[in-house]
Amino acid sequence: MSSLKLSGVRKSYGAVEVIKGVDLDIESKEFVVFVGPSGCGKSTLLRMIAGLEEITAGELDIGGKRMNGVDPSKRGIAMVFQSYALYPHMTVRENMGFALRFAKVPKEQIERQVLEAARILALDPLLDRFPKELSGGQRQRVAIGRAIVRQPEVFLFDEPLSNLDAELRVHMRIEIARLHKELQATIIYVTHDQVEAMTLADKIVVLRDGVIEQVGKPLELYDNPANQFVAGFIGSPKMNFLPARIVQKDAGTAVIELVHHEGVRLSLPLAGGAVGDLVTLGIRPEHFGLPGEGAADMTLEVDVAEHLGSTSYVYARAAGEPIIIEREESRDQGDQERITVSVDPSRTYLFDQAGQRIR
Amino acid sequence: MAQARLERKEQINGWAFVAPALVLLGLFMIYPIVWSLWMSFQVGKGMNLSFGGFANIIRLTKDPVFLRALGNTFTFFIVQVPIMIVLALLFAVALNDATLRFRGLFRTAIFVPCVTSLIAYSTVFKSMFATDGIINQTLMALHLISGPISWFGDPFWAKVAIIIAITWRWTGYNMIFYLAALQNIDRSIYEAARIDGVPAWARFRYLTIPMLKPVILFTTVVSTIGTLQLFDEVYNFTAGTGGPSDSTVTLSLYIYNLTFKFMPSFGYSATVSWVIVLVVAVLSFLQFLVARDRRRA
Repeated sequence: MSSLKLSGVRKSYGAVEVIKGVDLDIESKEFVVFVGPSGCGKSTLLRMIAGLEEITAGELDIGGKRMNGVDPSKRGIAMVFQSYALYPHMTVRENMGFALRFAKVPKEQIERQVLEAARILALDPLLDRFPKELSGGQRQRVAIGRAIVRQPEVFLFDEPLSNLDAELRVHMRIEIARLHKELQATIIYVTHDQVEAMTLADKIVVLRDGVIEQVGKPLELYDNPANQFVAGFIGSPKMNFLPARIVQKDAGTAVIELVHHEGVRLSLPLAGGAVGDLVTLGIRPEHFGLPGEGAADMTLEVDVAEHLGSTSYVYARAAGEPIIIEREESRDQGDQERITVSVDPSRTYLFDQAGQRIR
Repeated sequence: MAQARLERKEQINGWAFVAPALVLLGLFMIYPIVWSLWMSFQVGKGMNLSFGGFANIIRLTKDPVFLRALGNTFTFFIVQVPIMIVLALLFAVALNDATLRFRGLFRTAIFVPCVTSLIAYSTVFKSMFATDGIINQTLMALHLISGPISWFGDPFWAKVAIIIAITWRWTGYNMIFYLAALQNIDRSIYEAARIDGVPAWARFRYLTIPMLKPVILFTTVVSTIGTLQLFDEVYNFTAGTGGPSDSTVTLSLYIYNLTFKFMPSFGYSATVSWVIVLVVAVLSFLQFLVARDRRRA
């Protein structure tokens, strides 16, 4: 299995630059997930690695070899597409073995490799079916099988689960995680779903507008987002952002007051900033405490409460802004009209006006 | 009860709506078809007809012009349809390339012939294929031939000229079908094949052609029917004679001549018409048989 290196990679279509200088190292056997909102360039970046899109500037190395301009088939990669891209007129067996015929692989060996891939993916009983006779999940497994058969150095997955229903998506997610363990392969996986990213990745690459916002292990990104964008993108339900102002500043600490909740003041360790600066306070829904537990209490109007069994999500509102609060299920609380929560300063984040994290 | 009455009323209404169309279809399609079948068993000249049983069919087997026309028609079919289908397919694939410049211009240029006025294009072709026409002059200038080809004086070259003309006219028409089908194929299928190292020729042979199979079948059947009914070009190029010496006469031209040019022999020309129907039916059946899904019961 190969490592990968992107240095200063750029892509422009005419005057429009969609990838604006990406530097990234991917270790051998690593499961890397590119995640970001639609239009962030994650699929384009993957297609550039595959060789389906030209690299406008910068350098791509796979396994230590420069791959700019190298034919896709010579890069040692295999790709699984969102639409599965199966050959509709071929059986599962033919779909998986087709490419090997042109690599001058002997017939018996093709058969052996196809059977091996079918075994790994539990496709054995479907080998003589046509794609149209398969369910979405089975088609996706065939597409993965077609990639496995080629024994590539790097697997590329382009939103492979987004055409599946929710239940199947969870199932296939686990399949793919198991596959990564079994094949010990380098995998680059593109998705817009942060849950897929969190559950599958060794390393997450968060992209926005053709720029890497942050690279890190899933929990690193969750615990230590570099900026407001990553903080809002990683975690579900997403982090609450509340406008606040610095009202007091000493060396190393600051007191901030929420703009829409006068009287809610928090004392935080903070290096920079000055009195009067506007900042954004970030609190994850799961980090609100019960009244009296934290440094300050807030009382909010409840819009809707969703009870999921083990937890509830309370959609509350304060001075017109929505706030989501996650609560361990307590049935007697019911649909109260108001809820009081506390904020623990050690479990909050602080961002400046530009969205950069300052604490 | 009420339900039954309502249903009945709906039925009457429904039939009332389709009745005008049915009457017209019956009068101008079904009645003539049935009548021509009846006619094909009639013998005699002009309106002086009598039932002749299989006399017309026996006459067919001994009619040298009919056999000639049948042979010519088959020659046109066997040579022209494959050439046109392959050309149309190649043009379609070439013009489907997203990186090709002036695609729209090329597409239009190739499609325009089939919407061009028949008489206008026939006249131009006739002058181009004339003994001192541009084709002979060009071929001579290139030293491919030493003297001018008598395009409409030689049985072989007359057929060639007609094949060139109908291919020119109908290739674009077929290409449009392929182009439409190609644009419906998921682009990532080709990308997957490219990544997997399937060479370009194999992508065409093993992916494009099988995926276009239904369209290829459709265009082949339509082209077969068209070629078997070939009339316009032959009539225009040879002033209705099918010459030289019947070397380009087709079944349709022969039917026309039997009905309107020679002493009218309506019964016999109806018999020849039914031969075309039969041949088209058999050929279409064979084409469906060849193209049916393998391993599919």
